[in-house]
Amino acid sequence: MSNIAGKSYAMNVITPIKWYMAWLNRLIFWAAQLPLFKSKLTGLITLSLIHYARWAIVRPAAFPRLDPSQPRETIKYHYMFFFSNFNGSWAQYVDSFHMAIPSGLNLFWERNVKYPGSVPLQPFHSYITYNQIWTNHYYNAYPLAASNDVKAAKTLKAALLDFIAKTQNATPEDFKKQYEALLNNTQSCISLMEPTPIVSLSAQAVQDRLSAAGRKGQLGEAA
Amino acid sequence: MTALLSLNDIQGNIVKGYGRFGFPFARYIFYSVRDAAAGRNFVSSLIPLITTSVPWKTKESGGVVKPEAAINIAFTYQGLKNLGLPRESLQSFPDDFAMGMRGRRDILGDDGKSAPENWDPIWNKNTEQVAIFVGINGQTKNAIENAYALIQKKLYEAGEGVLQLAGHTGDGGVNNLPYQDASAVFENGTPTAKEHFGYTDGIGEPFFKGTGENPAYAMGSGKPTGHAPNTPFGWEALEPGEFILGHRDEARELPLAPSPHLLGHNGTFMVYRKLHQNVGSFKKYIQEEAKKHEDKDEEVIAAKFAGRWRSGAPLASFPTKAAADAFMTEVDDAKQKLRKARGTVEEVMAEARYITLLSKLVGFDYTDDLEGGRCPVGAHIRRANPRSALEFGVKGAFNTPGALSNRRRILRRGLPYGNAADKTDTGNHGIIFMVLAASISRQFEFVQQQWINYGNDFKLANEKDPIIGNHHVDKSGKGNGRMIFPARPKTGRSPHFCRHMPRFVETRGGEYFFIPSMTALQMIADGTVDPT
Amino acid sequence: MGNTAGKAYGLTLLCPIKADVGGYSYGDIIRDRLEGLMLNHNSPMAKVPNTYLCRLYVLDDVFYEGYPAKEEHLKSRYLVFCTNFYGSLETYLQEMWNKIEKDVRFLWEHCIAFDRVQNAKEFVAYIKKCQVKNTLFFNGSTDEPLAEQLKSLYLKQEFSRFVFNNHGKTAGELQRAFREFVAITQPDNLAGPSWTPGMIEESPHHNYENHLQTAR
Repeated sequence: MSNIAGKSYAMNVITPIKWYMAWLNRLIFWAAQLPLFKSKLTGLITLSLIHYARWAIVRPAAFPRLDPSQPRETIKYHYMFFFSNFNGSWAQYVDSFHMAIPSGLNLFWERNVKYPGSVPLQPFHSYITYNQIWTNHYYNAYPLAASNDVKAAKTLKAALLDFIAKTQNATPEDFKKQYEALLNNTQSCISLMEPTPIVSLSAQAVQDRLSAAGRKGQLGEAA
Repeated sequence: MTALLSLNDIQGNIVKGYGRFGFPFARYIFYSVRDAAAGRNFVSSLIPLITTSVPWKTKESGGVVKPEAAINIAFTYQGLKNLGLPRESLQSFPDDFAMGMRGRRDILGDDGKSAPENWDPIWNKNTEQVAIFVGINGQTKNAIENAYALIQKKLYEAGEGVLQLAGHTGDGGVNNLPYQDASAVFENGTPTAKEHFGYTDGIGEPFFKGTGENPAYAMGSGKPTGHAPNTPFGWEALEPGEFILGHRDEARELPLAPSPHLLGHNGTFMVYRKLHQNVGSFKKYIQEEAKKHEDKDEEVIAAKFAGRWRSGAPLASFPTKAAADAFMTEVDDAKQKLRKARGTVEEVMAEARYITLLSKLVGFDYTDDLEGGRCPVGAHIRRANPRSALEFGVKGAFNTPGALSNRRRILRRGLPYGNAADKTDTGNHGIIFMVLAASISRQFEFVQQQWINYGNDFKLANEKDPIIGNHHVDKSGKGNGRMIFPARPKTGRSPHFCRHMPRFVETRGGEYFFIPSMTALQMIADGTVDPT
Repeated sequence: MGNTAGKAYGLTLLCPIKADVGGYSYGDIIRDRLEGLMLNHNSPMAKVPNTYLCRLYVLDDVFYEGYPAKEEHLKSRYLVFCTNFYGSLETYLQEMWNKIEKDVRFLWEHCIAFDRVQNAKEFVAYIKKCQVKNTLFFNGSTDEPLAEQLKSLYLKQEFSRFVFNNHGKTAGELQRAFREFVAITQPDNLAGPSWTPGMIEESPHHNYENHLQTAR
């Protein structure tokens, strides 16, 4: 079981929330998307570590029931499901998240049952780990790329295509001048990607065992 | 409300960087423990020799007499085990410490030439494991020998239950030395702060509450507040719990510490790491690269690598060499005047001048240099301490501007070692790099793995620190390290690209240690640690 | 809209699993099957077009937080499927069925009411019944088609190589080298050289330098 696929880490959390808090939480999530409150997400955006993340607050009746033979759920709490794909391991980056956006974390989790607050660190870290479910299968279309790489790549491609069009018939001197301007404008996008650093010794040990057992195909390597 | 630290309980090397206090020499000795009782007796016999953080007498203040040599002691996990610490206490230590540096090689990037198989023999003894570290810092070489003789006597009295481990490499290919010597690099008989690549080292030093030091030194060394970084309002002292267990840390709690409370309180963790420097390759590289760079000056290349001119002036405040050199002369002059000042008025004025100049050395940030046109984004000091750069100019994005940096600070306590005259790769020279922090994994390992040998937080993908990064080799055997020196934005000018950097620094040994308080040290020596 | 952020879609499914029968635990079987799936570019999900990142886990039960929280339990176990992709839900699901029907059956066959799924249309209907709405879907990346993302990543990598390799060349050399680079990498051709979904390391053919005609 692994929460790691290349440079991305899959975080799954499920926490109970009292029904009368759930509607308030939904309102807060909805408001966070409005242009007026977009600033609430600025911290998260600046952290730049996340590919995609989502929260789903599911009320008891919304747990899918597909057949009369399936017993009805009798739970009373609503449940907040959280899924995130971020770069780095949770152990390494929990400090960054909780130091950088404590009020943002509180905004989203405060109404959850027994949530201790995002500060100080240890109770918050324990709460998340206690309610974390490990991923059984994780797929990442670009294990070699962090979220920063994907975003930089988009910027660079657009600039490159623009440059190619502009310099189709340029003289060598003019070409070089424009090329240098291109580099100046995209210098923060120019860097090479390689596999992720080993953020977890236990995950690495599992990978090594799979390799040793001859299950190379398991890891997607050519057999 | 932070209480003033009990300096008499805290070992001296935690609060003081001895090098700054006139101790340019050091000797590091390692022991294994074969018999728990003998080991504890040995530790007990050393306690009267241990130097604490109590301030030394100066003209104005009281305090203890400054010793000729300062002595400190620390233990590995294996050492604590061999000394008879109960299992419950051992298990309360964090697993980074318990695994030891060798076990963490994959996180640290100690591969290829830096792999543990290539370390000094002392770290590769199958039968004897390093248990105890004793560090001597001396004002003179004689002071070191005197202290060493004292310690040898205690060792002899301990009998066969404690063994001093040999196996350090030295000059001329010798590899069974019984201790590791280190020393400031001397020029014309005066100790300098230089290391073997020619950089002035040890300038950045975290400033934290409770040491009794002049709060003006928080400037540039504490955590950024968001106000102008070249003024005192731009900085605040860090919480002591980032560096000393048992005190409030930046997460507003007491850091995780071993149990029982008194075992961890006022202690900290130490990373000891022998780093060999390929002086020849470094010299050659910056010379060759200078030819390809528009300024044609190897000092510029060296400065862009480090983020500071080799004289010490930061690129962020001194983008040109001329200004940097003039400034450093002024700083040295002020330092001399401070040392020689007599009488209160002269001292106060000298200190004021020195502090004002010092502030320029450290009182800067990167918010007006986000693209790295002055100090490259991947430069060494910018990686090791990004200050508020990780906000990427988005004011107020985070709870505090230094939110991503404040918990990653480290205290550095090491010294260069070896032969400064030898400018080759094979010479015996490098740095004994010693890091002190409340959490080895959160502070040292995180910086080493995420910021030195990787670059995603700086939007540099997999690029590594030019000077200490573990650059690999490509198929043709050439080094494949790379670095970009960004150009000033919106100028249309091309950045400069360095490639084929070989590995300049190689790990030759090391371990993780726990530095106990004086109280804990007594308990360890007495065998009375009990977490029940 | 909680399920989309720009053109990116976040599908969250809770698929109820058949109850344990005798000594037979369907939830455990599903989990074993998930654990045994091939990874990265050999994952079945790599064949589903426009999948950015996705994950599956078996939810056994909710967690008891401890007093004063109330203890409660789920009556069924759920196969939780969370996927981030580009485009419309229907198209995605139809493609999923078309491309990996066998794997889908393998993973879903022990879910309640899945035996009624015989074709793509019924698969889409089944999935929609299992879908839970997102309250907030945060996109910290881009919302481009996967092919576009992969091509951009390939170009970032190759162009970065090009830039480092050609630093300091004369104008004429640079322009010639760049034209050759463009011919090899075909920046405007999504069907041309690119990274493949789930790729964990580059192959020699990705490196544009290995395609150069001119002597280096």
